Amino acid sequence: MTLWFVFAMMTAAAIFAVVWPLGRKPRAEREGSEANVYKDQLAEVERDASVGLIGAPEADAARVEISRRLLGAADAERAPPAAARTGARRAVSVVALLGLPLLAVAFYLPLGSPRLPDFPLAERARTPSATEPLDNLVTKVEAHLEKNPTDARGWTVLAPVLARLGRFDDAVQAYRNALTYGPESAERRADLGETIASAAGGVITAEAKVEFERAVALDANEVKARYFLGLSAEQDGRPNDAATIWRAMLDKAPADAPWRPLVQSALARVTGAKMPAPPDEAVAAAQGMSEADRGAMIQVMVDRLATRLKQNGDDVEGWLRLMRAYMVMGDRDKAKGALAEARQALAGKTEQLKQLDAGLKNLGLDG
Amino acid sequence: MTRKQRRLTMIGGAAAVLVVAAALVLNALRDSIVFFSTPQMVTEQHIAPGKRFRLGGLVEPGTLVRGDNLAVTFKISDGSAMVPVAFKGILPDLFREGQGVVTEGALDSAGVFKADTVLAKHDENYMPKEVADALKKQGRWQEQSGAKSDAKPELKPDVRSDATPTNAQGAVR
Amino acid sequence: MIAEAGHYALVLALGLALIQATVPVLGARLRDPALMNVARSAALAQLLFVGLSFTALVFLHVTSDFSVANVFENSHSMKPLLYKITGVWGNHEGSMLLWVSILALFGGLVAAFGNNLPLSLRAHVLAVQAWVATAFYLFILITSNPFLRLDDPPIEGRDLNPVLQDIGLAVHPPMLYLGYVGFSISFSFAIAALIEGRVDAAWARWVRPWTLVAWIFLTLGIAMGSYWAYYELGWGGWWFWDPVENASLMPWLAGTALLHSAVVMEKRNALKVWTILLSILTFSLSLLGTFLVRSGVLTSVHAFATDPTRGVFILLILCIFIGGSLSLYASRASSLKQGGLFAPISREGALVLNNLFLTTACATVFIGTLYPLALEVLTGDKISVGAPFFNLTFGPLFVPLLLAVPFGPLLAWKRGDLAGAAQRLIAAGVAALIAMALLWSFVHGGSTLAPLAIGLAVFVIAGAGVDLVERIGLFRNPLGIVWRRARGLPRSTWGTAFAHAGVGVALIGIVCETTWNSEYIGTMSAGQSAKLAGYELKLDGLQSRQGPNFRELLAQFTVTEAGRPIGVMNPSKRSFAARGSSTSEAALLTRGVSQLYVSLGEPAADGGIAVRIYHKPMVLLIWFGPLLMAFGGLLSLSDRRLRVGAPKPARQARGLQAAE
Repeated sequence: MTLWFVFAMMTAAAIFAVVWPLGRKPRAEREGSEANVYKDQLAEVERDASVGLIGAPEADAARVEISRRLLGAADAERAPPAAARTGARRAVSVVALLGLPLLAVAFYLPLGSPRLPDFPLAERARTPSATEPLDNLVTKVEAHLEKNPTDARGWTVLAPVLARLGRFDDAVQAYRNALTYGPESAERRADLGETIASAAGGVITAEAKVEFERAVALDANEVKARYFLGLSAEQDGRPNDAATIWRAMLDKAPADAPWRPLVQSALARVTGAKMPAPPDEAVAAAQGMSEADRGAMIQVMVDRLATRLKQNGDDVEGWLRLMRAYMVMGDRDKAKGALAEARQALAGKTEQLKQLDAGLKNLGLDG
Repeated sequence: MTRKQRRLTMIGGAAAVLVVAAALVLNALRDSIVFFSTPQMVTEQHIAPGKRFRLGGLVEPGTLVRGDNLAVTFKISDGSAMVPVAFKGILPDLFREGQGVVTEGALDSAGVFKADTVLAKHDENYMPKEVADALKKQGRWQEQSGAKSDAKPELKPDVRSDATPTNAQGAVR
Repeated sequence: MIAEAGHYALVLALGLALIQATVPVLGARLRDPALMNVARSAALAQLLFVGLSFTALVFLHVTSDFSVANVFENSHSMKPLLYKITGVWGNHEGSMLLWVSILALFGGLVAAFGNNLPLSLRAHVLAVQAWVATAFYLFILITSNPFLRLDDPPIEGRDLNPVLQDIGLAVHPPMLYLGYVGFSISFSFAIAALIEGRVDAAWARWVRPWTLVAWIFLTLGIAMGSYWAYYELGWGGWWFWDPVENASLMPWLAGTALLHSAVVMEKRNALKVWTILLSILTFSLSLLGTFLVRSGVLTSVHAFATDPTRGVFILLILCIFIGGSLSLYASRASSLKQGGLFAPISREGALVLNNLFLTTACATVFIGTLYPLALEVLTGDKISVGAPFFNLTFGPLFVPLLLAVPFGPLLAWKRGDLAGAAQRLIAAGVAALIAMALLWSFVHGGSTLAPLAIGLAVFVIAGAGVDLVERIGLFRNPLGIVWRRARGLPRSTWGTAFAHAGVGVALIGIVCETTWNSEYIGTMSAGQSAKLAGYELKLDGLQSRQGPNFRELLAQFTVTEAGRPIGVMNPSKRSFAARGSSTSEAALLTRGVSQLYVSLGEPAADGGIAVRIYHKPMVLLIWFGPLLMAFGGLLSLSDRRLRVGAPKPARQARGLQAAE
């Protein structure tokens, strides 16, 4: 309420500023004029001449010139007399009275947020910390680290959280700092590489690859780093190298290694065998899961993908992935259904249809 | 002199100054502008050794080698090609592997770009614009969030090593 | 509530600007004094509301109210208070708000102190001022609103960029804006004159103080920005010819020309049409500078094309104001009455020459700045136009200008005596020759042109002195008369002499710094020393220490001259781990007007560190020159003749009596 009262006062002040001169009694205006300037110039010439700054002939010439200007100015100023136009004044007053508030409200309402109170730091510091969202906790840790940048443990804790929040660039920096100020470990190198890849949208960039290579150099059995090196090879278009890396991993791996199925499926993908291929971002999550859980997870992901494609059917890659998933899960009918849906969704888009057909050839879903 | 003559004198004088200025500008534009190239353009167009130009791209990670007496070499890449660069002097604060950079100099006969100026990013969010544009063209660039800074986001030259002090300022945009 | 009140105040300022833009023009048409006076109260109210709005934004930054998007994006609760305040204009939205605030400030000043103006002229000036203001209010509210709120306020702001936390960077934008925006007044006067269809000598006298104020601020702003670049960027350069700097240099050149042509117009009623054009051009160049810096077109033509809202809006403002004012000029200029006559060799002629060279120099800067942009838009070729271009064009144009500077004040109005002036300048010429001869015989190395350039600078400085000596009749009259004449000499004459001498002083600094600057670059480890320009710098050692939010590698150098210690220098390199960035803090040691400059590079593997040492002779003169120019401007401004035209009729009457 106070806010609207303040707005009203301000508006009133603005209107007053416009209306005030209109309502004043006409009195002799102290108006400047050109004549004043020329009179002053004449005085100046006198002064200069009297001190001897200019010679008498120059002073005379200047006097003549200025006097001529003075006469001209006097002529011009005599021309139109001032006139009081009450009608126009009234009109302007009305415009100010109505127009100013209308305009102000018309501009302010769509842009402003009158319902939001101020939220200065001092007030916020009093809010209970239990209800603080994760973001704010992160901020506090960041603030702490800003002051104590050598706290490697802090960075180690912060980095995965940042990655979870999707702030990959910051997470990369945090991992880097953890490595700079803390002990180097293969695991952290691999985490750093993974985050760099996530920041690049899943692409194993040269930078990420360097980190994985360093991790493997530190510990030849670093699983994550080796898996990603394989992925990097695959992305570079060297499926055979990828297969070699992954096969080597599987050969040495204990039979009950939780990540076995993941690597197996990756290997199957590059060698053309029929195995599920979970999207990259889920790989890490799938690492620690039991077989049943993973099956459920895959089911959930497939369903999600199907729903997404129903809403937006432009994604050829998505359709292909969905069909491949159904095939892998042994559901040939569903795969065919998906194909029909895909053709429907892409109807009329020759380019995409061509892409779809090309993809189908690899899928073995003919007829 | 009559009013007309006076006017002609002035117009003539003004015209003379303008002609001189135009000549200066054209001459300077011919001699002192520097073109910008990416590594790809360098490999494709075979720029003659000794011709000055600006080379921009990303500093390829893992290629920075520090030699004796402040000599450094590194490679600039734009994803499709790579050019080796040699520089002697102090690199700017914000020079880092994997980051954008613009250097000025000329190729030598061996195809090494001898840079006498390394342009530093003045603001850490800022990517040299030529580099950003070139990378965007190749689709290797994702819009960075931090283009908001208000520090004058221009390039500032770093040192040149071999030049005389007189023109140590180097060429700047 | 503060945020919303500030927002609302800004909207109200827009409303007032709209009224101020229309009602006074109507009033002038109808010859109604009350309607014309609306301009005045509206301008003052507009200043009040923009001031409130700006104060509100400052308050929000100081209290770290992150529910305001602008504060969230550009502030941080841990910033020192000073940088919380200066951060207000360290970002796009805030700096535009500062821009309009200064615009309103100048409008308010004209309203408050413009009593000496004819009513209709003042009404028109303020109306034009409000046109500009309206355009920029709309720009701010629609595309760059600093008062937008966040529903879910974050706990901490985003920006704590260490590079931006610098006092030089904080202070010089407002200075530059005071200069840039100040020229809006002369623009408004020019448009008002064109609308009224009448320009006379009196007009020039009314415009001159405003132009002078803007010019002083712009001079100081440019000098300050240059010094900031010098000490902060770590390699000792002070002018880069980059577009942002050129954007401030162009209005300065045009504004300097305007100051001089306005003198001719005031004294002799000549060059009227030209002066009006210069007023328009100067402010147009200010707008262009705002466009270049604010639209992002410099950062990337590409980025400009992909997110064009702001850029296109400013471009539109630019086109409307420049195009509109020039069309108005084209249609009205021919109807302006011709002014006084003068011979080519005369004070007027000299000032015309000054204008010619200044505007041509301005044009070359314009070409060098915009040609790369135009070429990239048209052909896609990317080029850089750097210092060599400007040295080749700008330099040669300034030589004849500087040669002519001492002659100007010595020539008489209307018809001058060149031989007589030359005769009186013999002393200055001799001084210049002596300087050159000394330099040639005692200083070795560097360009042969350098002594010539310094001779030219000495000529300009001595010429300014000769002008004063001539006027007060020193050496010819007894001291009593000299004293009386010196007292009687108008302050603006002193101002002219100081400003002209300032140009010479700056030139000496520039030439010395670029010619005899020496540098040492190399790796040093503790105990080693480097010799440079007669000084010996010994690296005592390196130490690390922890700052508030950075680690600092601090080096200590002991400087000795001929075995005698003269000081200690502590350059450092700071790394801000949290954001993985580092900055170099250069160390400066001032000796007279020369400086030693040390900055650090990367630490080497063997425990040494890369070091860059410069000796910069006479470098401080580069900034003393502009200070002297600004001081001269201030003297002129304090001249009572510029203030007359009578705010208080009573006092003026007294003045007249005294003279009669």
